[in-house]
Amino acid sequence: METNQNTEVLCLEGLKKSFGDLLVLDNIDLRVTKGETIVILGASGSGKSTMLRCVNFMEVPSGGRIILHGEQVGKENQNGSRTYDEKSLSDLRSRVGMVFQHFNLFPHMTVKQNVMEGPRTVLKCDQAECERRAKLYLDKVGLGWKADAWPSELSGGQQQRVAIARALAMEPDIMLFDEATSALDPELVGEVLETMKQLAEEGMTMLIVTHELGFAYTVADRVLFLSKGKILEQGAPEAVLINPKEEATKNFLRGHGSFRLPEPNLD
Amino acid sequence: MGYEWDFSVVFGNFDLLLLGLVNTLKVTGLALFFGIPLGLVLALMRLYGNKALRWPAGFIIEFLRSTPPIAQLFWFFFALPILLGVEIDPFSASVLTFSLQSSAFFAEVFRGGIQSIDNGQWEAAKAIGMTRNATLQRIILPQAVKRMIPAFLERAIELMKTTTLVSTISYSDLLYQANTIAQSSYRTLEVYTTAAAMYFVVILACSLLVGRLEHRLGRSGEITRG
Amino acid sequence: MDYQWDFSAVVTYWPVLLVGLKNTIILAAVCLVLGLFFGLFVGAARYSSNRLVNWPATAFVEVFRNTPVLVQIMWFYFAFPIISPIEVNAFTAATLGLTLNTVAFSSEIYRAGIQSISKGQWEAAKALGMTYTEQMRRIILPQAIRRMVPAFTNRAVELVKMTSLASVIAYGELMHQAKTISIIAFNPIEMYTSVAIIFFVLIAPLSLLVQRLEMKKRKSS
Repeated sequence: METNQNTEVLCLEGLKKSFGDLLVLDNIDLRVTKGETIVILGASGSGKSTMLRCVNFMEVPSGGRIILHGEQVGKENQNGSRTYDEKSLSDLRSRVGMVFQHFNLFPHMTVKQNVMEGPRTVLKCDQAECERRAKLYLDKVGLGWKADAWPSELSGGQQQRVAIARALAMEPDIMLFDEATSALDPELVGEVLETMKQLAEEGMTMLIVTHELGFAYTVADRVLFLSKGKILEQGAPEAVLINPKEEATKNFLRGHGSFRLPEPNLD
Repeated sequence: MGYEWDFSVVFGNFDLLLLGLVNTLKVTGLALFFGIPLGLVLALMRLYGNKALRWPAGFIIEFLRSTPPIAQLFWFFFALPILLGVEIDPFSASVLTFSLQSSAFFAEVFRGGIQSIDNGQWEAAKAIGMTRNATLQRIILPQAVKRMIPAFLERAIELMKTTTLVSTISYSDLLYQANTIAQSSYRTLEVYTTAAAMYFVVILACSLLVGRLEHRLGRSGEITRG
Repeated sequence: MDYQWDFSAVVTYWPVLLVGLKNTIILAAVCLVLGLFFGLFVGAARYSSNRLVNWPATAFVEVFRNTPVLVQIMWFYFAFPIISPIEVNAFTAATLGLTLNTVAFSSEIYRAGIQSISKGQWEAAKALGMTYTEQMRRIILPQAIRRMVPAFTNRAVELVKMTSLASVIAYGELMHQAKTISIIAFNPIEMYTSVAIIFFVLIAPLSLLVQRLEMKKRKSS
């Protein structure tokens, strides 16, 4: 830890999640420093999406601690378990942005209204501030010109970029991407990845679940490989993606044999 | 058939029939006015209440849906006044009965509409920190209500048909007026046929409106995944 | 509320109520069977491309769907006898009104059910060389009827509720018996409460069945 850049944004300690008898996350420990871009890989069922969804309590963890900016989420009970009231979770979620596989834009609102909804309803920003944020973040994802369009008028890639702007408008400390490009037609994947890459370069702290290994290789600071609810292997992209140590990681990468490294230069 | 049709008694009393129609619309309108908000409350209790709210709401809805409206009306008109020791006139009993009765059906429409909204909408709102109430108000209900409009109108039409029951407790709706005129004139065929035709015109007009609305809402395809 | 509930008259007059219950069930059953049977033909007629067949069927359905069922019953009881060759008693009038109403609604269920089967099914059956009747009987109807079951059950619920309207023309079904007893025994509270509960016990299982069926249908689609 050399520079003052290394302030810790998020810390997971012994995170556990089970659905009934099924243990999905088994003692996950993770420290995320400011500006870090972490890509989480793993076969389906490995728990990678659940891990992401626990960070902002879309799923309530079964055990362990989640610490955001040094503050632990929820109130501790006498017996050591934790309760999470709606207010504190709302507060947490307003500081953690999330982008979904299926975009989930609000279809009855225009693009601009979608982006303004969080600042207005949750952060209670005034109209001018809401407008400022909508313009700023729509411009950032390159869709300022679509501000008054309806979600149904946009392509999937554009919808996903609006969803990114909607999350950014909360000015979160960290962004979560849950397979943000999996539902897109292949030709629309690039524009969304490009937007994510740009965010990474600007120093946004990001946790990304994706199957785009090329993207992981070029953009990630760190790659995690999850297997059976545990972090099996982690390190720099070269270490995990080029010289994997674990058999499970190698198997996973064999299954993705079609990706080329590095990304072809098409300019 | 040697029957001689004679509509003169109908023409002579047409103002009474029209008055009856106005009263029919009045009861229907008031029952809608009270029944829809009450239905929303029942639906929210059933969907999001704790056990102490969910259970009674479910029971009230099922009970009102599973008993004949005439039994409800008689209960509120003949039984309730004795129980409370107050007088309840036919109009109040009618409005009370049909407000409650329709609220049960509207509750189910609301529930269906709310449940038809994709879970991703809840998640997206949650992810930006919106509370459940805010999500319901700003994200879910606006979308759900739009989808429910045809079902609402269908229920309203059913309600209007059901309000003919108020004639049995002597509230002067269209059917009651027809009964009165028919009994005093003995021209039952003409009078009941005319009354039926009047209902037909009003209800068919509403049905056609519903059909057109459904068509328009369906065509605009306002709910795409996104 | 210091009202003293007294259900003794309900017990005393229980046999009278049972007669009413029996009549309610008979009326509902007769109208349901006749209604669903003739509904198929009216539904088929509406599906026909021949205007002479399809237009009267449509008119019939629209008239019965768009007028209140109580008005239909009153019409058959008070107005119809004037032009009717046969005698019309309360049971006949109620049966006519409720059956024709059920015909109109069920014909729409048949129509919607048949239309919900994809065109590919017709084409596949045709490609096997089946005639129109064979296609309908062996391929389309078996699939369509399964989809119609919740709607038909729902019709049955509505029908049982509607039979109570026959009390207005003094047919001795449950509601009418209750009304009569409540006047003799002067106990409208207990009587109407009991009758509501009896109807609830009769109808609620059907209602629950509808919900169960609809949920299953939603899951499978």
